[in-house]
Amino acid sequence: MSLLPLSPKKPLGEYIGVYLSRAIDPEIRRQRVGSGGAITAFLCYLIDKNIIDGAVTVRRVRGLEGEVVVATTKKEVLEAAGDKWSIIPFTARLRDTIEEKGLKRIAVVGLPCQIQFLGQMRMFPLLESDFSERISLLISLFCLGTFANEVMLSYLRSKYGIKPSDITDIRLEGENLSIYHECGKISIPAREIVYHLQTGCLVCTDYTGVLSDISAGISENYLGYTVLIARNNRALELLNNARDEKYIELKEAPPSVIEEISLKARGKMERATYYATRLL
Amino acid sequence: MTKLKVLHADIGGCEGCAVTFLRAIPLIESIACAKTRYIGSDFKIEDCDIAFVTGSICINDVHALEMLKNIRSKAKVVVALGSCAALGGITRFCRGGQEPKPDHRVFQPLSSVIDVDFAIPGCPPPPQAVNALLIAYVKNVEFQLRLFKAVAKVKRLSGFDLLDDVVLPGLCVGCGACVLSCPTGALRLIDRRPELIVEKCIRCGTCYVRCPRASQILVRRFT
Repeated sequence: MSLLPLSPKKPLGEYIGVYLSRAIDPEIRRQRVGSGGAITAFLCYLIDKNIIDGAVTVRRVRGLEGEVVVATTKKEVLEAAGDKWSIIPFTARLRDTIEEKGLKRIAVVGLPCQIQFLGQMRMFPLLESDFSERISLLISLFCLGTFANEVMLSYLRSKYGIKPSDITDIRLEGENLSIYHECGKISIPAREIVYHLQTGCLVCTDYTGVLSDISAGISENYLGYTVLIARNNRALELLNNARDEKYIELKEAPPSVIEEISLKARGKMERATYYATRLL
Repeated sequence: MTKLKVLHADIGGCEGCAVTFLRAIPLIESIACAKTRYIGSDFKIEDCDIAFVTGSICINDVHALEMLKNIRSKAKVVVALGSCAALGGITRFCRGGQEPKPDHRVFQPLSSVIDVDFAIPGCPPPPQAVNALLIAYVKNVEFQLRLFKAVAKVKRLSGFDLLDDVVLPGLCVGCGACVLSCPTGALRLIDRRPELIVEKCIRCGTCYVRCPRASQILVRRFT
């Protein structure tokens, strides 16, 4: 039995629509490689129109390291844009951060595990200090797992001779993981790095973050676009408004995209079942 | 739709959870008709749809034991509200000899005495938790109830269990959910993994229920 509204028949959870989207602003689009920058543009829309006070997200500092950012202006959102490859225990500092800044309505962009926690907190607050009423929108990124940092870095150093401090960016491009470093770029087949995922990620069943309002990720056949899954009417309405206000392009995703992400989601569930019988 | 008949009874503890229930009454008015000793003089334990019981049960307290069994026989669903009722909570540390009831020394969760259908940890849980549970129950949103069904089947959950089941086997991904959910600040992240300050853990179980991995283990084992 699953804790989440997830089953092999519904590997993406409950949703009302899947869309392909990308930012209209050329400046946002220029920064992006894998996806269309739709979430960045969407957050800009939410902040510009004063629908949220701030967006909680992660900015890469160096190599695989990242830090929590509470973006309250468009400029800060743009700085934090990009795929996130390391999990940041941002939930631990989230309460302090939003209380310090006095934010009343926030959007949180996170990985499925973090969204699961925040989604549960929103459904079932268990503490007086839970700040669920301040969470206005949960946006989950598609996730196949996060790296065990030290193992990954030591692998890159021993096999490819890359010093951790030289890494400037890591991006998934098609079947390959591209590591950008100070002397250039190398591509590693994604298969090779599966062994360097965190153990906890191997038993995770959730690819898209089913407790979110919006899930976002990429489709390999439509690079340059962000795949968005709208899970409730409010999320869809906000997306439509952002489209009407010329922040994002939004069109329905063809069935092949839904199939592709369903396949990956089902793959993650199967992997979890396999490992769960041994690890849990 | 007829309103649910909801009963609340307190059998011990600090009354924080009882206050939670009182504060929940305005929230649940539209779906439930709530009765509790705290708002009426005509209160008695009678047939009801859902009984919320707060506080842990003292195994030596005959009066409380009988009351609890009576509630079980009259309620269709029993909900253990709060960490003490659900898991023993801080009353687990009770050693007897303390005023005003020096004879009370062994406190257990309700599930040690009767079958509990749902258990909500939290020290204390907020009124919204009562509301959310009732809504999930009325609408029969099974996945939301599953976790609380599983908690009703365990006798203890704490920071120690979190370390044993998640952190030590290496299943922790360092999301920080436990640290954020600890009401006493007993957990902190050291090298991206939670460490427990043992003296501060009141065994409320909130961290375990909130951890994405631990809750998965719980549901896997007990549903």
